[in-house]
Amino acid sequence: MVAPKAPQFYSPQVKLRSLTEDYCEFVLSNVNASIANALRRVILAEVPTIAIELVEIESNTTVLNDEYIAHRLGLVPFVSSRVHDMKTIYEATEDDDWTDVEFTLNVRCTRDETMNVTSDDLLPADTRFPDVMPVGYDERGSLTRKHKSVLLVKLRKNQELKLRAVARKGIGKDHAKWIPAATVSYQFLPEITINHDLMDTLTDEQKQAFCAADPRKTFRFNQISKAVEIVDPELYMYDGEVLAKAAEMGKPGLIDICQRQDTFIFRVEGTGALTPDDMVLTALDVLSGKLQTFGAELDREGAELADLTHGML
Amino acid sequence: MPVTKGSSAKVVDAGSPHSVLGDAGIDDCDPAKLTQPIKEVKDKYQLLPAFLRVRGLVRQHIDSFNYFINHEMKKIIHAKGNERVTCDTDPNFYLKYLNIYVGKPSIEEEYIVTDISPQQCRLRDMTYSAPISVDVEYTRGKEIVMKRGKNGQGALFLGRMPLMLRSDRCVLKGKSEAELAKLGECPLDPGGYFVVKGTEKVILIQEQLSKNRIIIDTDSHGGIVASVTSSTHERKSKTNIVTKHGRLLLRHNAFTEDINILAVLRAMGVESDQEFVQLVGSEPAFGSLLAPTLQHCREESTGVFTQAQALEFLAARVKSSRPPGGFQRRGRSRVDEARDILSGVVLCHVPVPRYNFQAKVVYLAVMVRRMLCAMLDPGFVDDRDYYGNKRLELAGGLLALLFEDLFKKLNADLKHHTDATLSKANRATQYDIAKCLGTHTITAGLENAISSGNWTIKRFRMERKGVTQARVLSRLSFISAVGMMTRITSQFEKTRKVSGPRALQPSQWGMLCPADTPEGESCGLVKNLALMTHHDAVHIAADGGRVCRPLIICDAGVPRVTGAHLARLKAGEWSFNDFLTAGLVEYLDVNEENNALVALYECFCNPATTHLEIEPFTVLGVVAGLIPYPHHNQSPRNTYQCAMGKQAMGNIAFNQLQRIDTLMYLLQYPQRPLLTTKTIELVGFDRLGAGQNAIVAVMSYSGYDIEDAIVMNKASLDRGFGRCVVMRKYATTLKKYGNRTQDRITRPAEAAAPAGASTTTTTRPGGRFSVLDADGIAGAGRVLTQGECLVHKQSGYRAAPVMWKGFPGERCAVDRVMVTSNDDSACVVKVLVRHTRRPELGDKFSSRHGQKGVVGCIVPEADLPFSERGVVPDLIMNPHGFPSRMTVGKMIELLGSKAGAVSGRLHYGTAFGEGSGLADRVDALSAELVAAGFSYSGKDLLHSGITGEALEAYVFMGPVYYQKLKHMVMDKMHARARGPRVVLTRQPTEGRSRDGGLRLGEMERDCLIGYGASALLLERLMISSDQFEVHVCTHCGLLGYWDAAARRARCPGTGRADAMATMKLPYAAKLLFQEMQAMNIVPRLVLAEA
Repeated sequence: MVAPKAPQFYSPQVKLRSLTEDYCEFVLSNVNASIANALRRVILAEVPTIAIELVEIESNTTVLNDEYIAHRLGLVPFVSSRVHDMKTIYEATEDDDWTDVEFTLNVRCTRDETMNVTSDDLLPADTRFPDVMPVGYDERGSLTRKHKSVLLVKLRKNQELKLRAVARKGIGKDHAKWIPAATVSYQFLPEITINHDLMDTLTDEQKQAFCAADPRKTFRFNQISKAVEIVDPELYMYDGEVLAKAAEMGKPGLIDICQRQDTFIFRVEGTGALTPDDMVLTALDVLSGKLQTFGAELDREGAELADLTHGML
Repeated sequence: MPVTKGSSAKVVDAGSPHSVLGDAGIDDCDPAKLTQPIKEVKDKYQLLPAFLRVRGLVRQHIDSFNYFINHEMKKIIHAKGNERVTCDTDPNFYLKYLNIYVGKPSIEEEYIVTDISPQQCRLRDMTYSAPISVDVEYTRGKEIVMKRGKNGQGALFLGRMPLMLRSDRCVLKGKSEAELAKLGECPLDPGGYFVVKGTEKVILIQEQLSKNRIIIDTDSHGGIVASVTSSTHERKSKTNIVTKHGRLLLRHNAFTEDINILAVLRAMGVESDQEFVQLVGSEPAFGSLLAPTLQHCREESTGVFTQAQALEFLAARVKSSRPPGGFQRRGRSRVDEARDILSGVVLCHVPVPRYNFQAKVVYLAVMVRRMLCAMLDPGFVDDRDYYGNKRLELAGGLLALLFEDLFKKLNADLKHHTDATLSKANRATQYDIAKCLGTHTITAGLENAISSGNWTIKRFRMERKGVTQARVLSRLSFISAVGMMTRITSQFEKTRKVSGPRALQPSQWGMLCPADTPEGESCGLVKNLALMTHHDAVHIAADGGRVCRPLIICDAGVPRVTGAHLARLKAGEWSFNDFLTAGLVEYLDVNEENNALVALYECFCNPATTHLEIEPFTVLGVVAGLIPYPHHNQSPRNTYQCAMGKQAMGNIAFNQLQRIDTLMYLLQYPQRPLLTTKTIELVGFDRLGAGQNAIVAVMSYSGYDIEDAIVMNKASLDRGFGRCVVMRKYATTLKKYGNRTQDRITRPAEAAAPAGASTTTTTRPGGRFSVLDADGIAGAGRVLTQGECLVHKQSGYRAAPVMWKGFPGERCAVDRVMVTSNDDSACVVKVLVRHTRRPELGDKFSSRHGQKGVVGCIVPEADLPFSERGVVPDLIMNPHGFPSRMTVGKMIELLGSKAGAVSGRLHYGTAFGEGSGLADRVDALSAELVAAGFSYSGKDLLHSGITGEALEAYVFMGPVYYQKLKHMVMDKMHARARGPRVVLTRQPTEGRSRDGGLRLGEMERDCLIGYGASALLLERLMISSDQFEVHVCTHCGLLGYWDAAARRARCPGTGRADAMATMKLPYAAKLLFQEMQAMNIVPRLVLAEA
């Protein structure tokens, strides 16, 4: 397949701004909204993670019913760094394909005070996959329990919960529990131009009032230079408050704000299942995989069509 | 209205009533104002929780029941006709009741008395009741026996009294939360209802026209009528004075015709005309009005001048209750009878001691005088719908009526029994009446009345059957239960198209909730009490059942309640009762309110003000109190919400998982609303929420949101939004029979058989046995499939299983199983079946502003719009819902919830609360939003989730409290092709539960007729319904029969087979012909070749 002559959009650029364990912010430029949105959509819907899909309850004398607990277990995020080695049950073809990770939970409250059953109580049933575990997992019995585990249910004395859970690979399109991101969003970079000539016709009070009109405080009144400055164009939320203020002051052309259609500030916040960079890279993989399939299909169709026309001739 | 806080000077707003009233008012009150302690208006509200702490939400029920138990029962047994039981045959015999007691709630099981709790009764299908016992004195042979009990119990057991929960005798009275939890009771449950045979029953408050009160009205001809409904313990009667040809006539059921009022008065001893006129009033204007009456009395046809003549005259017109020629008491003339009727029946509530008619004469004269006044000035005509003319009858009063009736019946039975026994000459044993006391009369009488709602009181001629409806306490949601306790029903017929009684009366202000009434036929007839309404039980010089409400007393416009008082209240030194006893706050009824000038807020006070409102939001009831900013909504929307709030799912009570109700809807993750009201906190709705805070985007999306449909986020549903549990009870009792057999539960034989055999067929009458445990009862936690047997019961040798009636697609599980015994010591088995549901297309949701909608579309999260912060709505609502509904309150709720979410503080939207700081103002909310970096208007810039581009318009988005209503598609969807038919008509069955057909009704039929689609009509109404082939004799036109031997049809009359035709007709038509033949009507069919 020959790529058409690439316009400027086709040389996308990524500038990473920050990357932590569960947050990542980067500027994606030289693409249009459809590409940025495709990336967002794929992260939400098609980046696979691991989550509990099957729960077999052996004994449940807690206050919550079986379905309730199963639903809660499903929503516990699992560290999914090895998800790429797994296969979903509908992808699996070989016997030795890795599809399931089994966990057990067996808790009984024997003391008088209320006992919390958390995701930490989910114990791996097979030791082959030690790195598949609930997010924030803490070995049982360690004295310094981090409070990052997820509360499942509270037990009273003599209440018991005993179950077997199977975690599987899946995608967010099927169920929200497999969505790796807490939020994925992007923002069009605002381009703000101040008409300084017009701005100079305002009094200082008016300038201050103008700056105050924006709830996000994008503008600042410089006390020394008596000028209106832009603090950070990214703060601007496109709420149109300053434009309305300018119109109210009788100076409609005071500032001009437009969205840059080719630059996006991308923010990805993870649940802990995948690191944000993993999420984005996998999303790109999925996306290119889709394009490849699409391209291959096109080629096949083209070839078939060629055969057909050939035969007719 | 600006409110000054903490300053000593009072700012008077230009728009305040002071300026309206003129300068004089201000001058007069200024000195007073300076000395007046200024307090924060906010504090005044503190009185309300104090009020509710003392009175509670359903205090009216409980107070009334307590009064009945503690006082009225004693009065009843000491009443003239009730206290003694005598004997006709033995003049020396008597039985005298000395005292009556109602004990602790308990139950006697196999001769052991144990205490019971209401929760036990609910679960075990028993009645929560306490023994009634009496102390008596009676004769046994020659001696007088005195039987007295001890420890607050009487000597003789009389029956059982169902107890009202949280009343004085109830075990729950005064218990702390922990103690209540031990008893399995919810601390937020208001009480005030009964538990009868395991079901919770409320005796609804009955609204009646005032008793013993003169009401001046106009009749259909425009004439003035004065009517009084007299009511005493003994008797009820209605007395009217009507005008006919200008004459005043007395109309009463005891007389055959209307009688000149002067004649009646003459019979009472008013012999001279002058005395009559002076009694009525000697205003000159009255003269001409009275003339026709005076004239008529002198006329020949009447001719009544003296008391004796008058009595004769009346005697001739007494309606005889006895059959003519029947038994008449000796020594009693017809004149005596007439006099007795005058003294005891006409206006029977006015006492006539030793035939001294003085009081009754004056009463009649007052009636006449008020009529004359009304004739001169129509302004004196009373308004029947005016709430001051209404009285409310509560559980205590109704029970007292019933109890007295049953008590009389018990005494009558006792007397009858005694008469029969003592009349026999020689008896083997001495007659001891104490051993003959039947307990069944009272126990069963009370129990049946409360559980069926039929109040039959024999003592009054009028049967009060069905007047009182004791209903099952609705436990759909906590609010529906509380709402039921404050409900008032009217006795007006629902079907009558009258507007007067249904209209909202200005006099209902503060007493009844203006918003909470059902739609449809009972609109305006069923009402609800406002938050602070109190029910007067006894009051000196006043009758019971008046609606009252508390107000702060003002002296010359200065409220008596000061900051110091409220500080004491806050510190817990004072309770609401202290305010009452100190004379700071008093109760006013509707009539007294007419003479009061009540100010809403302190700033409206002027010297003429007599009272100050405690808090304006108290005009609303409990259910309407949940609506945030209701005063910004169009009023019908609030009414709609009042109806829907009762259908919202949520937490029912803290003991919800211990309850086994017929049907229970629970939400899995209920929340408290982000925008709350004071009422919500007072009622406890914040602890038993029924809804979730959903992020709502008000925008158009996908077109699946027309007609109020809502678009839902699939990921939100995955995460648990709107997820609910439906619990259904299946119960059975193992009965014992007379022939010493009893029902039993057995382990099914199939359970032991190979597993493959038992699970294949579903048509077997016993059903499938796969979930049964070894004891023949379904095991908890088992998943049910269609046709599953829950309890394998056998009645004799016949299988009588309890079958699960689930529909395919419902994946239910057995939640709990309870095996217990009830008070007849019969075994009760209850199986609770649970179904967890996530919202699906067509499920009904509603906000708190009467805006309901069904789910129109469920959209993947990726497709939904998102803000640059990454916020994706849970739910999208179409903006067309706003313009015509005008629910501004919902918009403010969104704004307030959003501000609350960003600032981490709950905001308030109490009704009319802006003035007193109980509701946040929009500008304050906007300021908070701006401070958090949001637009002041609550709008956000959203990007399309599909194209990725920014949406053109800003979208109003934020959290709104949404309720999931009990109407779910799963319970309603139904379709059938072929299926069961009714045996009689062979037409398809009706209704979803019987897998019925969908009816092509008259109107649909009319459409087809109009269109001329005759073949379609034939197909729908006959071929697809109940087509039947008959043989008709072409000679006689009657339906023939099939001669199976000859294999041909024959005429029913002649037996000939040559002229038989076959035709098709609906089976129902054939049935009609046969039924007509059975009644000697011959339907003949005249056939023609088609």
